[in-house]
Amino acid sequence: MAIVGTSTRRPDYLDKVTGKGAYVGDLEIPGMAHAKVLSSPLPHARILRIDASKARALPGVFGVLTAHELGDMDPYYGSDIKDRPIIAIDKVRYEGEPVAAVAAVDLETAEAALDLIDVEYEELPVIATMNDALTDGAATVHQSNLCHESHYEWGNTEEGFAEADRIFEDTFTFPMVYHYSLEPHTVIARYDELGITVWDSAQHPFLVRNELARLFGLSLNRVQVVVPYVGGGFGSKSYIKIEPLAVALSREAKRPVKLAYSVEQSAKTVRRHAASITLKTGVRNDGSFVARDCQIRLDTGAYADNGNRVTDRCADQVPGPYLWPHLTVTSKGLYTNTGAAGSFRAIGGPQAAWASESQVDMIADALGIDPLELRLKNLGAPGDVIRQGKNPLDADIATGLKEAAKGVGWAGRGAKPVTQEKETKRGIGLACSVLNAGASPTSTALVRLHADGSATAMVSTVEVGQGSKGVMAQIAAEELCIPLEKVGVVASDTAIVPYDRSTGASRSTTLVGLAVQLGAKEIKQQLLDLASKHFEAPEDKLAFADSSVVFGQESITYAQLIRQMFGGPAGELMGRGYVTPQTEGPLKGLPVFWEMAVVGAEVEVNEKTGAIRVLRLVSVSDIGKAINPKQAEGQDEGAAMQGIGHTLFEELIYEDGQLLNPNLVDYRVPSFEEVPDGFETILIENEDGPGPFGAKGIGEGPIAAVAPAIANAVFQATGVRIKELPLTPERVWRALQAGTSGGHKVDALTEG
Amino acid sequence: MLKPFQLHEPTTVEEAISVLGKFGDDASVYAGGTELLLAMKEGLLSYDHLVNIKAIPGLDVVDYDESTGVLTVGATATHRALEYSPLVGEKFSLISDVEHRVANVRVRNVGTLGGNLCFAEPHSDPGVFLLLYDAEVELVGSGGARKQSVEDFILGPYETTREPDELLTTIEVPRLPEGSRHAYIKFGYHERPSLGLGLVARVDNGTLADIRIAVGSVGPKPVRVRNAEERLRGASLADLFGNTQSSALLDEAGRMMAEAAEPVTDLHGSAEYKEHLLRVFLEEALEEATRG
Ligand SMILES: Cc1cc2nc3c(=O)[nH]c(=O)nc-3n(C[C@H](O)[C@H](O)[C@H](O)COP(=O)(O)OP(=O)(O)OC[C@H]3O[C@@H](n4cnc5c(N)ncnc54)[C@H](O)[C@@H]3O)c2cc1C
Repeated sequence: MAIVGTSTRRPDYLDKVTGKGAYVGDLEIPGMAHAKVLSSPLPHARILRIDASKARALPGVFGVLTAHELGDMDPYYGSDIKDRPIIAIDKVRYEGEPVAAVAAVDLETAEAALDLIDVEYEELPVIATMNDALTDGAATVHQSNLCHESHYEWGNTEEGFAEADRIFEDTFTFPMVYHYSLEPHTVIARYDELGITVWDSAQHPFLVRNELARLFGLSLNRVQVVVPYVGGGFGSKSYIKIEPLAVALSREAKRPVKLAYSVEQSAKTVRRHAASITLKTGVRNDGSFVARDCQIRLDTGAYADNGNRVTDRCADQVPGPYLWPHLTVTSKGLYTNTGAAGSFRAIGGPQAAWASESQVDMIADALGIDPLELRLKNLGAPGDVIRQGKNPLDADIATGLKEAAKGVGWAGRGAKPVTQEKETKRGIGLACSVLNAGASPTSTALVRLHADGSATAMVSTVEVGQGSKGVMAQIAAEELCIPLEKVGVVASDTAIVPYDRSTGASRSTTLVGLAVQLGAKEIKQQLLDLASKHFEAPEDKLAFADSSVVFGQESITYAQLIRQMFGGPAGELMGRGYVTPQTEGPLKGLPVFWEMAVVGAEVEVNEKTGAIRVLRLVSVSDIGKAINPKQAEGQDEGAAMQGIGHTLFEELIYEDGQLLNPNLVDYRVPSFEEVPDGFETILIENEDGPGPFGAKGIGEGPIAAVAPAIANAVFQATGVRIKELPLTPERVWRALQAGTSGGHKVDALTEG
Repeated sequence: MLKPFQLHEPTTVEEAISVLGKFGDDASVYAGGTELLLAMKEGLLSYDHLVNIKAIPGLDVVDYDESTGVLTVGATATHRALEYSPLVGEKFSLISDVEHRVANVRVRNVGTLGGNLCFAEPHSDPGVFLLLYDAEVELVGSGGARKQSVEDFILGPYETTREPDELLTTIEVPRLPEGSRHAYIKFGYHERPSLGLGLVARVDNGTLADIRIAVGSVGPKPVRVRNAEERLRGASLADLFGNTQSSALLDEAGRMMAEAAEPVTDLHGSAEYKEHLLRVFLEEALEEATRG
């Protein structure tokens, strides 16, 4: 293979580094109005009255949308649970919820119109936290405060605990965090008699199309979702967000409307679920895992968004990649009066691994067993069923873990790295988990071989920064045996490209890439048919090389074959790629593949200030086959850095339903300062994935394992165990204060 | 979103003052705009008139008078200008040392020292070094010109003694006594500092002949801690480090710093933690400034 496996330059690089690339915010549609949203100042309140008459009368205002204008439709939407109104109806459930929206000739006029809208609220008791949500007799955000619950079990956990020598019970908490993609939510919507067109910063264009069609009562062909470059998503632009609002406003204003959110609005629109996870784990003295009971609570905020899937996936992932004879898992997604939580890179994974992998280390310490050995003893091997009813494990976690241990210099439980400075202590930690990745296997692609032998691959995968355009081209070029520069990729316009479920869950290279490969294969079959006639030779005597079909010493170019078929320099061949749950191979159950999450970290803790510095971080990903190794490493490193964010300092702070830090001055994301001095990605390539050329997806794994690896390293360094994130200097200092007396594990004190 | 405003571009200080006087509360001085425009975009501040003072010739001076030993920094001199001035680097190395660590390159490129002082956001660095230098500001308004120490000028969060029609024109910074060495410790993980501790020391014959201590970012405003200076002055270096007696002395000085700085609990951390950090960093800064 000459093209696949090579770190070719991504096609969008020049557009991006020169600022030429167009994002939705850069687009202008003729006749376009500009929109502004009036946000609720209160986290929970009844709307008694909205008077927008003065705003409507303001010159330059084309339309004002309130719940009143939606009387002719069912205005509730969501990825599965349809609980979110296009605009607040009767009550508001979070501070920042859209209550009215204005389309005007320019943003200044729209802003002025907002000031003229009069809303009268009656405050309701605020459900600020998950504890509030669960309090008997508490107010309810929706019909109830339970959004979604999932439960599964096998064996008999109670009996398992009876068999165990030791039982550990611990509660771990995970903060609310925000994706902080550089581009906030932005959409241009045009609603007219022909249907709906939206230019959208979205990761799942076809799911946006489907939901808009349902909401506005249109057939699928009449809704077009066009996605140009997207300035980062990480899940924040998955499913459907502000598109229905923009479309409804366009319908009201009778012209196209651009709605561009601020960072603050976006941070209130979607975030990651905060979690509280209690694990009760029974083990034998030799370290064998016997039974585990997992109680998960996830804060989905004011609306479900994708909270049901996050609740399920967190439940799926909380046991880790281990074999449990007895297991009980209960996971609850709860409503609160905070901004909604939805998908975020490795949904449910970081929360699950934080709890599970922290506790595994605590067990190792209590039993006096090396944490690496304890893990290796209990890990599932490839082929083992780690989750009943799901595909068996297809990742070799043990090998990954050993690689990570070696890479980060793990020398055993008692062998701490040394430091020269008196205030600091060093330690190494490991963590591993698996993510049920790939969402579902429903992807299609169309490959066109043009009359000159060049090709176009048509896919829905959104170029969200991950480098999909280059990778799809590499796959098509390799399969078609044509040069990379002869392949173009047209992407993410639902009126043009064929269906794909979503850009997320590490799935695109595996599933859409496979569809591209299948499409290219279908073209090759047509070329064989044509060449077989041309050479009057059986197909099995033919081969492909350099844009040609070869028969012995003779060859004919693809271009010549196409010309022969169409009788001149015209026409083209089309190849279809369908990836469905019926596709041959391992796509028959779920998950599409298990994504490995394996991280080793070395840290230095300043015991006087509590500040942590990550010195070394090694992550291992099982990629099957790296189509573009450099981009794969970039994805892996990105996931690790994002994990360092929620580990060390990221946290959205809500106080009584008010978000206190909706900006980068008060909410800190990692910068180059936090890049570990030693930062390594190890890619395992066994060419055994379900994707093209044996590929499987990566790009999420490390984000799940970074936090426990760092916390485990902090424990080795200091003897202090912290069960809450983020590990801010103050939290670490407090834990050290509380722990210095005994020098053993203690919980961090909660900050006031 | 930035609401429309009228931009005035006076070319003299007098003109600027008269525009400010004319529009009163509807007008604001506009220097680098790094604070002002952000606050206006967020709707926290709103003005119909902005008076851009960057067009006033000479207001961006960075000048040193050998005879008086005073550095004059004009109102529109940027952080970057101070960071890179060879003159400042040579004679006022504490300033260049701290300025190098203020904000980020984009903010330093346009943000001014004057703007930083007039905005008086508590999480700031310059107040600390200016207090160590006993610096003064000059303000010019319709009532004439006046000078005031930086210490008295900053009253609290977002509050100074500046009258609405007054322009801060220059900051005057006298040189430190010969033989002084400095340390500046900046701590925090947010965009703006959580703590700034500055210390200037002169060691003579193994004793702390002179010391100045200032603290910022932890409380409502930057402060000099004169009682702690007093307490430490004259101590022998041998007494300062590494024994229980010295630890008691530093504890006491640390407490004085905490009392003076009045740490508050905010998104940067609890008051208790900040008090602890003051003690930790006092020792670190002392070592740095006395031991080379
Ligand atoms: C992202 C970010 C990070 C930062 N990090 C740090 C940091 O680490 N440490 C730190 O110390 N600071 C930090 N800052 C603050 C920075 O130092 C100030 O923003 C900058 O110095 C302000 O100067 P300016 O010229 O832009 O002021 P402007 O925004 O133009 O003005 C600020 C205020 O002062 C008034 N004003 C300005 N000049 C005068 C004058 N001559 N006379 C009268 N009134 C005047 C204005 O009317 C306005 O009210 C940060 C700021 C940002 C945005």
